[in-house]
Amino acid sequence: MNAEAPILTVEDLQIDFHDHQIPETAVYDFDLSIRAGEIVGIVGESGAGKSLSALAIAGLLKRHSAVKQGRIHFEGQDLLHCERETLRGFQGDEISVIFQEPMSSLDPLMRIGPQVEESLTVHHPEIGSAERKERAMEALASVGLSDSKRIYESYPHELSGGMRQRVMIAAAMIAKPQILIADEPTTALDVTVQAQIVALLKKINAEQGTAILFISHDLSLVRQLCRRVVVMKDGRIVEEGDTETVFLRPSHDYTKELIAAIPRVEKKGTAGRPSLPETQERGRRPILRVSGLDAGYGRGRQILHDISFELYPGEILGLAGESGSGKSTLAKAVLGLVGVTSGIVEKHDLMPAMVFQDPYGSLNPARTIEWILTEALTKGRAGRFPGGRQTLRQRAAEALAQVELPESFLERRPSELSGGQRQRVAIAEALIGRPNLLIADEPVSALDVTVQAQIIALLEKLRRETGVTILLIAHDLRVIYRVCDRVLIMRDGRIVEQGDVERIYFDPQESYTGELLAAAGITG
Amino acid sequence: MSAGRRFAIYWKGSRMFRAGFVIMSAVILFVLLGMLFTPYPPTAMDEGAKLSGFSAKHLLGTDHLGRDLLSRLLSGAGTTLFIAIGTIFIGAVTGSLLGAFCGYFGGTADEIIMRIVDALFAFPSILLALLFVSLFGSGRYHVILALGIAFVPSFARTVRGEFLREKGRDYVTNAKLHGVGDLRIMFFHILPNTLDVLLSAVLIGFNNAVLAEAGLSFLGIGVQPPDASLGRMLSESQQYLFRAPMTTFLPGILLVLMILGFSLTGEGVRESER
Repeated sequence: MNAEAPILTVEDLQIDFHDHQIPETAVYDFDLSIRAGEIVGIVGESGAGKSLSALAIAGLLKRHSAVKQGRIHFEGQDLLHCERETLRGFQGDEISVIFQEPMSSLDPLMRIGPQVEESLTVHHPEIGSAERKERAMEALASVGLSDSKRIYESYPHELSGGMRQRVMIAAAMIAKPQILIADEPTTALDVTVQAQIVALLKKINAEQGTAILFISHDLSLVRQLCRRVVVMKDGRIVEEGDTETVFLRPSHDYTKELIAAIPRVEKKGTAGRPSLPETQERGRRPILRVSGLDAGYGRGRQILHDISFELYPGEILGLAGESGSGKSTLAKAVLGLVGVTSGIVEKHDLMPAMVFQDPYGSLNPARTIEWILTEALTKGRAGRFPGGRQTLRQRAAEALAQVELPESFLERRPSELSGGQRQRVAIAEALIGRPNLLIADEPVSALDVTVQAQIIALLEKLRRETGVTILLIAHDLRVIYRVCDRVLIMRDGRIVEQGDVERIYFDPQESYTGELLAAAGITG
Repeated sequence: MSAGRRFAIYWKGSRMFRAGFVIMSAVILFVLLGMLFTPYPPTAMDEGAKLSGFSAKHLLGTDHLGRDLLSRLLSGAGTTLFIAIGTIFIGAVTGSLLGAFCGYFGGTADEIIMRIVDALFAFPSILLALLFVSLFGSGRYHVILALGIAFVPSFARTVRGEFLREKGRDYVTNAKLHGVGDLRIMFFHILPNTLDVLLSAVLIGFNNAVLAEAGLSFLGIGVQPPDASLGRMLSESQQYLFRAPMTTFLPGILLVLMILGFSLTGEGVRESER
């Protein structure tokens, strides 16, 4: 086949939903062509229509309420208007898909082997079981699962998230498809594992020449992997082109906004940040001093080991590490929500408040914003707020103004707000009782990248205006670099390294810190 | 959400809700009418017109003792509804309280209470009600008490499940961090979030209560003669099924409409919540 001729072309794809009285268009005029062996990225925020377009290409958008128009050409067939049987012939054989959630995309009751072999079993029944098994072993080995014999016999729950995603890739690649559609394949994974999966996709592309359509909201990943990128917003393609050109000279305003929203890690010295240098901090009295802390959930489930750190008034301390490293447990230990086995937690007039990762869960869905805000003010420890209903309402409105939301939001309920607005309300709710410590547990990781940037800016502003100390838990090292003065790097319930952000990022002393930074694409 | 807006959402979102609500309203109107007015006293006998068909004097005819069927329906539907509502009130309030405490606090008390509830759950509620009626004696208030107790387990289970789920959510943790007391968290933070489920449990429980009352009265241990209830009327008329089918048919239809109205409404609410 001519390498220059596209193997897949999509023309004027439009997807409408007829769930409600008024039909909603989710994707407009989507055009795309993929050449053999090419890696194309689709980026955009949630609701941009990137996954829908990809599912339509794979023929997986089977909801009866979805109406598709346009043409999808693949090997002389229009996949949008062909018989189901024809479509099925391509699925898993010529076109494969991997999904975001490796936990749920494998059948928990089936051993790995048959799941990896499945597309061979379906599409190439002529292949005998011995050869099938051999090919499955090869596929598992080629995705870096060296212990393929054991993996073949395992059940999904015996494998880690990263291993499961590798199994998914092996299953998708076994029939040697021409196109692999990867829908946010790394989003649910830790940063070091993310980097491994991206490297694996690159290797597969180079060795087997499989074209990859990579869908992600993470622009830095797309930049690492893709040669060509498509930027989507509100169901439309706003920009398309060579990845480096798009990143260096974006032409559409939205692309510029997206790229600007990625927190940059560039050495800025002390001039760039409004913080106090480490030496000056030492002269001040910490509001929180933790020494030799061991803590966990009951007997035999000790999670934190020998944690020592100090928190000074007015600083933003970052807490970084992969999932399961004990970041959230440490926050809970500080708040007294988990049992402390040994060690000392010294608090000096500490009044903590918390912002959670998921603003959908942290605001009571049955109540209005006014109720939520005033409840925090009147019924809690801060309690017995003097003044009548009018004063309370005013305080609530002020709290909203602080997070740049209008007073009219008082009447609304959480379900009527967007994710970013909810997180603003959650921050207002945390700050309304005037705490001196704000613990923010992954406050931006559930949000889109442009909204992330807004919330981060808001946290910085609030620290400037109110002098509140912030303990920021985040797995995203770029976010930490952007706002924090100091950072603790955690692994397996221990602090690996702590110190000034500049020092840690540009002169890490521990190899694990270096690994983390490298995996996030930050090199000192 | 205000009650009005909630109603508008259900009305627009579910055909079942619309149908159910219309039937339910009609039945309730009929009962309210019965409280204000019956053509004859429901127990007054007209010796000259036993088992008569439709006539100008007795619009829907009379039963085997010459009592006016329309009057007995008007009053009997009210009795049945009253018993069902009383039953659900006792069952829902007690069951929700138990479920809320068990779900929220957990621990040994929860373990003990839920095992008892499980044991009660193993018996059909009508059987339990039979047991309690034989302990307390019959009559409408005793029936309400007996059925009410028999309905506690299902509510306790439902509400406990909801509380178990909700108490792990961040808004509850957050309220705890603010130092909000446990009782306030239970009834002002969590309870409003369980109302949807509670509402459909109440509506479905209501049907079972109507049937249970009818069953008890049919067996002769519910509402006592000469008072009317739908179950009582069915029980009395069964011997005359072929001579005067309307005496069985009319209370039966009313019973069906009552249950249909409430269960369609309940299903409609459930459907819109999904």
